[in-house]
Amino acid sequence: MKLKVNGTDHEVDVEEDMPLLWVLRDELGITGPKYGCGIAQCGACTVHMDGVAVRSCQVAAADVDGDITTIEGLGTPAAMHAVQEAWVEHQVAQCGYCQAGQIMQAASFLDLNPEPTDDQIDAAMSGNLCRCGTYVRIRAAVKTAATKMQEA
Amino acid sequence: MRGCIGASALIVALPFFAMAAEDAVVIAPPPEGSVSVAEGLAAWGRIYEVASHPRCANCHVGASERPMWSGPSYGQTRVHGMNVMAGDSRIGAETIPCRTCHVTNETGGNAMPHGAPQVAAAWRLAPVEADWFGKSSDEICAQLRDPARNDGRTFLEIADHLGHDVILHWAWSPGGGREPAPYSLQEHTNDVLAWGVAGMPCPSD
Repeated sequence: MKLKVNGTDHEVDVEEDMPLLWVLRDELGITGPKYGCGIAQCGACTVHMDGVAVRSCQVAAADVDGDITTIEGLGTPAAMHAVQEAWVEHQVAQCGYCQAGQIMQAASFLDLNPEPTDDQIDAAMSGNLCRCGTYVRIRAAVKTAATKMQEA
Repeated sequence: MRGCIGASALIVALPFFAMAAEDAVVIAPPPEGSVSVAEGLAAWGRIYEVASHPRCANCHVGASERPMWSGPSYGQTRVHGMNVMAGDSRIGAETIPCRTCHVTNETGGNAMPHGAPQVAAAWRLAPVEADWFGKSSDEICAQLRDPARNDGRTFLEIADHLGHDVILHWAWSPGGGREPAPYSLQEHTNDVLAWGVAGMPCPSD
């Protein structure tokens, strides 16, 4: 089975129903996406498939349709994505376990809706749980990123 | 030509994985005049059982952008968790697309208990006009026979639509321990055809 992750082509020998999250972490060693619940309830495993956020624990390997981007491919320390910059600016992360999923969700959301209302930010991020309760900082960072992306 | 499907049986192949046991819907309306109003009302009663079942009604929420969680799997009736809002797009494009979790799935759905149901189509809310959640049998009946609110469909076209829309088929094979809609897709289609031949009667006529 072939798939492209963060711009690199991979060939993996896996069962068709293996969740994409398993393929990424266990087969390819890409461990930014995290396992939280396995049933689309927490958002820790969020990656982009063809540019749109998906819960990688819910995508069967055979259903991968389009290029995959994980947090490792969103930006680099030297050239961060606007959401990553905002994350640093607001010091969002506490334990950090959920942040790869949070950032990937926010990046996809701002791509689909570049001028979101506060309510839309809350709704878009409501499916990503943070066990440290950093929601106030998450909301502020997403707002900052939206503003920066509009100015760019 | 609309409404000219005629009395000959149409076989509609279903591309959906879970329909292996019943992989085709036969569109075979009874002959004109062969279904009494009483029989048509009985068929409507069964159609209402399907339309008002949680597997169907939970996403037929009218102008609301909030899908519902109701039925035996959920205990008390409540709005969908995670503050989900499907928006004017009905697919969540304004906030979080339904398919972020209800991933379009060509290979086997998602039978995991408490997981996000998946079909081989974009998960979405029903159109605003198809506003059924919590409505009475008479109200839904009046809506379904009103061309202004049923997308201009004849009863034959409603039956044909049932055969083609895979997100509807999920209602009879929801997986994950969820209660399926009553009867079967074929029986439901037959009821729509009988109700139509009887003149689409509603209980309060």
